[in-house]
Amino acid sequence: MPAADLDIQRLTALLVVEGGLLRLKWLAAATHFEIAMHRHMRALKYGYNSAQPRVPRGDPNGGQWTDGDANGNPVARSRTRLAGDVPTNDRPEIPKERPKTSGERVGWLKAAARMAAEQGVAAAELAKIYPWMTYYASGMQSYTDTPRSLEELQSATPGPGYDKHHIVEQSQAENEGYSREAIDSPDNLVVIPRMKHWEINQWYQTRNQDFGGETPREYLSGRSWSVKQSIGFDALKRFGVLKP
Amino acid sequence: MKRFDLKSLTVPQLVERFSALALGQFQAELFGKVRIYNRLYDDIVAVKDELKSRAGDQRSALVSLYTHANPQVRLLAAQWSLAVERGAARQVLQDISDRNIYPQAAYARQSLEALDRGESKLI
Repeated sequence: MPAADLDIQRLTALLVVEGGLLRLKWLAAATHFEIAMHRHMRALKYGYNSAQPRVPRGDPNGGQWTDGDANGNPVARSRTRLAGDVPTNDRPEIPKERPKTSGERVGWLKAAARMAAEQGVAAAELAKIYPWMTYYASGMQSYTDTPRSLEELQSATPGPGYDKHHIVEQSQAENEGYSREAIDSPDNLVVIPRMKHWEINQWYQTRNQDFGGETPREYLSGRSWSVKQSIGFDALKRFGVLKP
Repeated sequence: MKRFDLKSLTVPQLVERFSALALGQFQAELFGKVRIYNRLYDDIVAVKDELKSRAGDQRSALVSLYTHANPQVRLLAAQWSLAVERGAARQVLQDISDRNIYPQAAYARQSLEALDRGESKLI
């Protein structure tokens, strides 16, 4: 295939990923907007009059109640739009600079890795657009791994972009009196993609309908090693790390 | 703190609130805000309960979110309407699973497996 065709293909793929990231960013903004809408709905209940004009943006008193605008006319209300319909022509700025907090970095890395995995784009290509991601490229690349057998995961050596993961969570097991020998035994350790590790760790902490509203960690508290291990295997399978 | 008065909302407003809360969870998951994610869980359940209490069990109104652009909204709409729209809701969960949209795919698989075992807490 001619080099020019490859370049076009690569560029197209990158634009798709960029579009996905923009969509996520737009959704984040939409969430803030919708929360504001709910405050607005609540205000309506307490006598708020949406027809009462306000001083337009740009004026030092912008946003304040008024009897009219600078010319004494009511201020026109702009059309609003709720999340759900993602506008395709919105182009908010993508964080090309390294986000300041680790929470933001992790969030954007996860979003980028998920998009890259969905679109089949290599992490190295993504790092060309977002240079700050270069440092994390190995972690983003490993996120695209296909599920592996238990033997493969247990015999792998942790390299860049991979972490050792305890199938039975180590902190809970330790608190419940299990020995370090059991916790760190080869049977309980697998080498998995770093961002999958992040996702699974977070899953253990988040409330879950199928555990009756408890987090998996709460559900497993005080349960036997074999139950903890079974849930640990299930998590690896459901997150696409371990072959079913 | 006084809870949001859901009784005063119409069914479409409840669905809109459900969607906004699910988007909040999506963002919280992405940026590792576990406490916010877990707090929103209660708010979402409250909206689901309110829909259920309305005449004719209005959880079926969540069907309108099955095609939402955001996977967390689709996931929660399907999970919390499984009891009343089992076939269609199951299809939404299957689609999220098949498309490997994480982390929602993992949650969808768990719900599907529980359904297949006849142990779902959602129906």
